[in-house]
Amino acid sequence: MPEPGTIDLEVTRTKEDLNVPWNVIVYNDPINLMSYVAMAFQRVFGYPREKAERLMLEVHHQGRSLVWSGGREQAEFYVHQLQSYQLLTQMEKSST
Amino acid sequence: MIDLRVQPDGAKRIRISGIEPYMVNCLLSLLETLEQADSSPARERLYPNPTRHDDNANAEWQQLVAPELRHLFVTASETVARDLTGLQPDTHNPALSEVAFPTEHVNAWMSALNQARLVLAETVGITEEDMNVSNFKVLDKKAFAVVKIHLLGHLLQLFVELVSGESEKFTDEPEASL
Repeated sequence: MPEPGTIDLEVTRTKEDLNVPWNVIVYNDPINLMSYVAMAFQRVFGYPREKAERLMLEVHHQGRSLVWSGGREQAEFYVHQLQSYQLLTQMEKSST
Repeated sequence: MIDLRVQPDGAKRIRISGIEPYMVNCLLSLLETLEQADSSPARERLYPNPTRHDDNANAEWQQLVAPELRHLFVTASETVARDLTGLQPDTHNPALSEVAFPTEHVNAWMSALNQARLVLAETVGITEEDMNVSNFKVLDKKAFAVVKIHLLGHLLQLFVELVSGESEKFTDEPEASL
């Protein structure tokens, strides 16, 4: 029960929140093999080899790569999948 | 490591052959390495938070998802440990060793090898610079860890080539890391 004079605010996700895409980001890691990372991208997203290698090189050269963008639940699923390959992965709300 | 091969052995088995004694030692110490996976730095690397700033989502993830990932990783390690009990002298060269295991264990091998590399790196604080050193002046803990990381990486690379259908492209060149 709230104390007298206080108001409980229920935090809910607005429709607008739900429509904001989430980005799945993979960060550079000096240990993971480049070939292993590209293989993980192919297996998790079903990306063709060329796209998987391009994203892997982006991670390598730029320190991070946005590998997927979309709904929050699906983003969580992909973060889980990529972390199961031990890739350094996080998700963030898209700023666009 | 010229003789090291990871190849299909019939339709349902994989064989690693031509394993040099130093690689045997490396593989046999794999479990010891993976036992450190729950140490603080290794744990942070293997089970990172899913977001940078959302404390609630991170806490929920660590409570619900991280244990699931840990179970997956431990199961992979146990599978490899069981397979390694089958290490024996190589049929073609008794100075070397070989081991065979069911094809469905390939993912467990890749997971355990990669986990071990990450745990070794986190435990002694290996940096990108360390990974690129070819001649260590002092053979300290860090140097030994880097050598092990490269050895396990070489074997992992052979697995990746196998599952990618590229095993015929095998060379003895070390694979670059990210």
